[in-house]
Parts: sequence; C-alpha cells; structure tokens
Amino acid sequence: MEDSIAVNEAVSEGEAVVEEAVPQKKQRKPINQAKLQDNLWGWIFCVPLIVGTVWFVYICLILAFLLSFTNYQVINGGDMFKYIGEMGKHIMTNPETGASSPFYWYSYAFTNMTKTQYPMNELGAYLFNTVFYMIGIPIGMVLSMFFAVCMSRDIKGGNAFRVLYYLPCVASTISIVYTFKLMFSQQGVINGILGLKDFDNGGGFQWINLRGVTDITWNSLIRSNGGSPTSESAFMNDPYWCQGIFTKLVIIIMSVWKGLGGTIILYIAGLSGVNAATKEAAQIDGANGWTIFWKVTMPDLYPVIFYNIVTSVIGGMQIYMEPTLFIGEQYITSGYVSLIQVNGIKAGKSSQGAAYGMILAVIIFVLTMFQFYLDSRNKD
Amino acid sequence: MENIENVEPVVQEKPQYSSIRYAWGAVLAFFGVSSKTHRASKKRAKFVGDVFTYIILLFGTFLMVYPFWWMIAASFADTTDGANATQIIREIVWWPNKSTVESAFMSSHKGGMFWNYQLFFTEGLTVVNGSFTFWRALLNNLIYSIVPVVVGVITSASAAFSFAKINWIGRNAVFYFLLAAIMVPGPSIMTAQYAMYKGLNWQENGLVLIIPGMFGSIMTAFFIRQFLFGLPTSIIEAAKIDGAGYFRIFCGFILPLAMPAIMAQGLLSFMGCWNNYMGSYIMIPDTSSAVNLPHAIAKMDGYGGGGRYASINYAAVIAGSVVCVIPVMILFACFQKLIIGSLMLTGSKE
Repeated sequence: MEDSIAVNEAVSEGEAVVEEAVPQKKQRKPINQAKLQDNLWGWIFCVPLIVGTVWFVYICLILAFLLSFTNYQVINGGDMFKYIGEMGKHIMTNPETGASSPFYWYSYAFTNMTKTQYPMNELGAYLFNTVFYMIGIPIGMVLSMFFAVCMSRDIKGGNAFRVLYYLPCVASTISIVYTFKLMFSQQGVINGILGLKDFDNGGGFQWINLRGVTDITWNSLIRSNGGSPTSESAFMNDPYWCQGIFTKLVIIIMSVWKGLGGTIILYIAGLSGVNAATKEAAQIDGANGWTIFWKVTMPDLYPVIFYNIVTSVIGGMQIYMEPTLFIGEQYITSGYVSLIQVNGIKAGKSSQGAAYGMILAVIIFVLTMFQFYLDSRNKD
Repeated sequence: MENIENVEPVVQEKPQYSSIRYAWGAVLAFFGVSSKTHRASKKRAKFVGDVFTYIILLFGTFLMVYPFWWMIAASFADTTDGANATQIIREIVWWPNKSTVESAFMSSHKGGMFWNYQLFFTEGLTVVNGSFTFWRALLNNLIYSIVPVVVGVITSASAAFSFAKINWIGRNAVFYFLLAAIMVPGPSIMTAQYAMYKGLNWQENGLVLIIPGMFGSIMTAFFIRQFLFGLPTSIIEAAKIDGAGYFRIFCGFILPLAMPAIMAQGLLSFMGCWNNYMGSYIMIPDTSSAVNLPHAIAKMDGYGGGGRYASINYAAVIAGSVVCVIPVMILFACFQKLIIGSLMLTGSKE
C-alpha cells in the first residue's frame, strides 16, 4: 500500500512537472520527426504514379470533354492547350447554318447515316457490331467453367493443361488474326471440316473476304458456291446483314478461343477457394455431383463470375484490334472504337472523336452501374 | 413391446427387373455409373471420370495448339511460283502441299528452307519505309517493352509500398482518386492524348510508347499493394529502429521481398507491351521508323488485306507472325509457374 501511494505521489509529481513544462513547449511547436518522415516519404514514393495518372488520364479526360464542344482539328496543327484556353472563340459551328452549336457533334453522332445502298444510323451500326461481339462472353464463360471444372479434378497433369490453355492469351493478336483469317478462307481447313469447300471450282463458303472488300451479299455467296442466285430480299442482299454476320461470327470464335485461358485460370482459382467441408457435407447428405455444383459451388463462385462479367463487358465495349486486323475499318464489322479512330485520328477531327469518346464513356459507365444494380438486387 | 412383436416383419421384396435391364445395369456399372440394379464401385467411377476428363481436355488442348501448328506449317509454304501461291497457303491442313523444305532439296529453288523467314528479315518490312528493316523493328519492340516496363514496375512498386506500409495524411483519398482512373476507358480519351502527344512531338520518335509507361500503372500498383499487405510490418519497424531511412527500406527490403509479385507483374506487362499493336497503330505514323513489330507486320498485310505481301507472298506475313510470337512464348515457357501463380493469386485475367 505504501508503495502504491508513493507511486501515486510520484505520478502526481510527474503530472505537475508536465503541466509546468507545457507552457514552455507551446512557444515552439514540437515536430514529430517520425510522422514528418512518414508524410514526406509517403508522398515522394507516390509522386510518379500520381503525376502519370493525372497527366495521362485526368487531364486528358478534361481536355477531351472540352474538345468535344470545339472545332479543333489535329490535322491542321495548332497548340491544343492554347486552343482550349481561348475556347470561347472556337465553339463548334453548324456547317450548314453557320450558327454556333456546341453540341453539334453529339447530335451529329445520333443523326448521321451511313452512305450506303441501305442507309442506317452510323453510330447504331457500329454499336450493334460491338454488342454482337458480346455473344462471345456467355459462350466463353460456359466453356471456361466446363474446362475449369475438368481441370480442378484430382488428375495428373492438371498444371500442364492450364499452361497449354493459356498459350493463346500470351500470343500476339496479329499472329492469331492472320492464322484464323487463312484457316477460315474459302479453301481453308474449317470449310474442309464443315463440307463447305468446293473442290471442283476452287471456291467455297466465303466467311471473310481476304482482300478486305466487303460488298458480299447472299446472292454472291450462293454464286461463289456454284449455285444460282435465289434471294431477292433487300435484307439478305445488304452486306451489313449478310457478310457482316458471318465475318463477325469468325471474330467471335477467335475472341472466345483467345480469351478462354485467362477465364479458366480465374475460375480454377475460384474453385480452389470453394469450401470443401460444405461440399463433403452435401455429399454425405446424398447430393449428387450436379446438385453440389449448382447448390454449393456456384454460390461460392458468384463473386468471381460477377467480376468476370463486369470486366468482360467493359473490355467488350472497347473491342477494336480484331475487327480492324480482319478486314479493316468499316461499318460492317468494326466496333465502336473505330468511330473514334477513323474520325478523331485518321481524319483529324479531334473534336468529333472526343464527342464519340464521351458517348462511349457514358455507355460503359451506365452498363457497369446497371450490373452493380442487378448485383445488389440479387443479394437481397 | 407386444405391439412391436405383433407387427409382421417387413419382407424387403427385391424388385423384379427384366434381364435386359440387368444387363444394361451391369454395363453401366462397368463404366462407373450406379443404377437400380447394380452399384458401381467408387474407384471405377473415378477411373471412368478421369478417362472422360482426359479425353475432353486433350481435345481442348488440340484446339488450343492446332492454330499454332498451322502458323508454323504455313510459314514453310512455298509460294514463289505465283500462280498457285494463294491456293497453297490456304489449303494447308497439316503441312503445305509444296513446302520450302522440299523445294530446297528437290529443285533449283532460289531460296533455302527458311525462304519466307529470309524474305521477312531482308525485304519484308521495307513496306514501312525504304530504310526500315526487321532489326530496327526488333530494337523498337525491345525498347518499347523493356524500358517502360522496368521503370514502370519500380515506380508502381514504390507507390504500392507507400500505400501499403507508410501512414500519411490523405493516403486513402489519394489511393481512391488514382483507382478511379481505371474507370476512364482508354479509347474515349484517345483523341485528346493524340493531340497532346502531337504537340509534344513524341510521335515520330516513338517516345509516346515509352514515357507514359514509365510513370507506372495503377493496376500494377494495386496488385503489388495486395501482395505487400501480406508482408509483416515488423520488418520495416526493425529496420527503422536500426536507423534505415525509407529509401533504404524500399531498396533493401521491399524490392527483394516483393520480387515474385514484381516479376510476375513485370512479365505480364512485358507481354502486353510486346504485343501492343493498337498503341503503335494509333499513335505512331505509318511511315515512321518508330513503328513496332506488330504494326510493321500488319502493314505488310495492308490492314485487312490488299497489301503487297497479302496478295503476293502471304507466307512471309505468317513467318513474321511466328517471329513475333516466339519471344513471348519462350518467356512464358520459362516463367509459366510464376505467371500462372500470380494470376491465380490476384484473380486478374491479364
């Protein structure tokens, strides 16, 4: 007891000392060296990434947004920053009426028609192509789930299969595209397997036109197979609906083939995280493999599948390389990004490209939010 | 008790099935499937399941590998005689009807066994401009995929270290500010970037594919940060007590300890940069000597057909494709364990 009292006294003495010391220290603010170091070095280590992200993403986003209201043309040169600074002078004018209309490129995007035999909305045509390519997403998901379940069985050589299935993901797109292009040619392997090869005349079914010309219709397809033209309907003789669909199918097959490995690895990682105890309990309760898969494995895999859908849709909206390398950039097969590239960069009308880009950003944002909304409703 | 004794014992009547059904049940049991008549052993069921799995997986492997074999076969097609050139390369199933391998030995052929490769190395890439050669393309590709990746991974790792292990004011705010940048789709800001790079004069000399990558990428930083969370903080505290500064800690502890994650992310970005056709095609002018290898090969094809080589000697284009694929394949074969392990850990596709 005496000791503790002594300690208390010592403490109170100490407090008194502190109280006395405080007014002295207030004159010069104490600097906590360790905290200062933390803050200093924390920022220093981050600076490159912050500078890079702000410079190449955020500033460019603001510039693109502002550009979409102006008449800036990169092909004419001119300092873009100066241009944006004097934005008031360079607001887009309607070329027909001459009146100032900042939203001209946005309204143009929704009203411009393709200059073809059967005109349709240009943006709609490109957007339909983009969405059509998304057929590949569910196909790829089902296939990769199937292979992932096979590979996660207790078999020898599972790792080797994993590596082999990942090979196409590693290979460069151009090599794959040129290979598929020739494999799907009129005399190619695929036509040989499907029996669409015309051995006598050296013809065959034309999935893609290797010369890049795309005005192929149903009648010309029939003719190339040695038949006589049959269809008189405008729909079947519109290259967009006839040749376009077949070429797009080839591109979908290629994308599924190329993307399978990555998704398989994603699913294998997910499958190895499924609770083994729950599975065993279900097995003892008499559930068969099918039931276990749907009732135990799938709910556990849900986050992986959701992540995969979100990233695939975002990536799918930005499809560009495959259609371009297959038959070049035109409205029959190209994805939405081609609109930005052709108008904004090749033709040099940066403001138009920026407007298309803003529309794309909004579309992707809305799609992603819609998926998260569905996800939240699913959880309730 | 009495009640129970009075109850007649239930005679379990064996259900009668036709003999055909018994036979069918036996066959099913042999293949590991239980039915009402026969019960298959678990071992047999597993064996049969394994056999089916192997068949399916081997078939899938064939589908995955065949186009690569086709590519190699096509690069040996002899398309020098002009008239049947396109037919020979299109009709390949396993091996070209007329290959440079046979021609080199059998007839007085002007080229050797690797004629298509030779063509690709010497004159193929002059389609870009007169003085452009394969070696220049290879050098470009190596610069574009080594410099930004090495520097970028280190800057990403330093940012990841700062986010994971240092406490500073506004850390989370900055992190989410940077993470929000991945929501901005690349193509939608492409035109502004193009105009900016043109103003900076980065396009003709290829700096556009080097400098932006050197600032690191937020996704790489994110994955390395996840990895660093697994490292014990006590190491850093011990180093601090011993008097090491943060820079020393980063170079001496974090870089070596996080090496598996850094290597894996670096290899994945190397492969991405090596195959970066889109960046070169959009940002670098067609006739510049700064185009990378995929862009140069695509130019041989003439962008979707119609190029000089597309109509005359497609085999040279395919030989170029093979050359473009081989380095990443070798790299992947050497580091497949690291790469696949990293993909499994981070749960990302690229």
